[in-house]
Amino acid sequence: MGLPPPLSDHVAIDVRDLGVSYSLRFTRKTTLHRSFTNLLKRANGPTNFWALQGVGFHVVNGESLAVIGPNGAGKSTLLQVLAGIILPTTGTVDVRGRVSSLLTLGAGFDQELTGRENIHLAGAFMGIDHRVMEERLQDIVDFADIGDFIDAPIRTYSTGMRARLGFSIATAVDPDILLLDEVLATGDQVFRAKSRARVMQLVRGAKAVILVAHDMNWVIEFCNRAILLEHGRIVAEGEPEAVVAVHRAHSELVKAAREAEIRRVSGGPQASAPSSSA
Amino acid sequence: MAVPREAPPLRSTALRPNAPGLVLEALRESWSRRRLIRYLVQADLKKKGSDTLLGNLWWILDPLLQMLVYVVLVTIIFARSQPDYPLFIFAAILPWKWFTSSISDAIASVTSQERLIKQIQFPKIVLPFASTVAGLVNFGFGLVGLAGLLVLLYPHRINITLVLIPVVALVQFAFTLALTFLAAATNVFYRDLGNVSRHLLRLWFYLSPALYSISQIDHLAAESPILGTLFRLNPFTILFEAYRDVIYAGTRPDWAGLASLFAVSLVLIAIAAWVFKRVEPSFAKVL
Repeated sequence: MGLPPPLSDHVAIDVRDLGVSYSLRFTRKTTLHRSFTNLLKRANGPTNFWALQGVGFHVVNGESLAVIGPNGAGKSTLLQVLAGIILPTTGTVDVRGRVSSLLTLGAGFDQELTGRENIHLAGAFMGIDHRVMEERLQDIVDFADIGDFIDAPIRTYSTGMRARLGFSIATAVDPDILLLDEVLATGDQVFRAKSRARVMQLVRGAKAVILVAHDMNWVIEFCNRAILLEHGRIVAEGEPEAVVAVHRAHSELVKAAREAEIRRVSGGPQASAPSSSA
Repeated sequence: MAVPREAPPLRSTALRPNAPGLVLEALRESWSRRRLIRYLVQADLKKKGSDTLLGNLWWILDPLLQMLVYVVLVTIIFARSQPDYPLFIFAAILPWKWFTSSISDAIASVTSQERLIKQIQFPKIVLPFASTVAGLVNFGFGLVGLAGLLVLLYPHRINITLVLIPVVALVQFAFTLALTFLAAATNVFYRDLGNVSRHLLRLWFYLSPALYSISQIDHLAAESPILGTLFRLNPFTILFEAYRDVIYAGTRPDWAGLASLFAVSLVLIAIAAWVFKRVEPSFAKVL
């Protein structure tokens, strides 16, 4: 790839020739029956799906990189690889520093446990020392603003309370590298403003930030570089404004093509409808 | 403020450790995340007790009631019995309940944490590990029932050999742990396991000397030596006999049998941990 050799001290994330493939033989909820039939069908059709292919970039300290692209382009997969959830199929990923992904908005909540117990459980899942978690507990409770509910089971919480608690647990970390998947719009307006401030604080505290964004204002406002992913490949990289422009242009093209397709498919009956009613 | 991270900074498929490395990694992860395992076990206990009137008292009552059912079945319907038959079968029902609850919990342990697995990186091996420990706690509750049974009905059976129960339980723990690793990993790829396991476990129970003693099927072994050997190789023949020796007969267990089962279980743990770690990276993709 055309990347310059990175200065090792400044690099927070170094991704080289990253490829991630999914096996199509084992998908959600396979059963023996299905995998046998898949085995028979193996002769025809692809067995792998490449979610990411030949992806290479690096992020230096102090940078915040936006990852944009249409649905299914591989943005979430990229975040999962950076967070260590998925291993690269090809290539290497070098992430230097503590990573936190703010993906965990109440993902692991246990309905029967109290808020307090869930905070400890979440901390243990994230690998945070329980003493540290103990220290942060009050902050988490205050920020989530759930008051006495902290000792009630999660199943008694409202959706808003659950989201608030999830958000404040996820942000009760101080990572070197922050992976964000636009989880910023949670709860009511007041909480949204509060959470936006908290995210900004984390972004400032982190050495490097990767933001998967759908809101292009965020990209231009908070990121100093952007990459555009399409079909698992990087198609544009550079200044946020420029990359966003490319993305918009591509989306317009895709939209126009889809509209043309719809018109072509539904063209027949639509054209004949007026004549039959006349 | 050290936040431990299991994932090495440089990740590449080519950098995965070899088989012994993976086994060591699994052991290290289980140890370093022991608090997470504890929380998971506590959560499990709380959940199972929370929606019933008697709560965790059921953990004591359940094996006793199950014993009663088998006593009725065997002594009345089949008119076959041993002296102090309730205690005779209770010594087998108790460890069996641990085993089945651990296995069935383990099967769902990884698949039920789907959302979490896709969102944060943590060592998945703690999930089946917690299932085995939760089963052990279940067993501990059952021992309260055993104590009650001994004191109230069979005081003449109380013997110093009862202190050997933890030794037998340790062997069972090792064997169960290995199987829970395999069960949890397999179910990610084949969801049939839940259905199959229920029947396999029941068959395994009846093929093990739980409701009968091993001497009662001696004639079978005499007729077919292969069947007899297979029967004696069954880990639960060794375990049930050992539990029964220390609880019911008041004799020392067959140390050689226990020791060899323990050795086999340790090897099995290594193999199972290796298998688990091998497939672990694809959990987030397959779920």
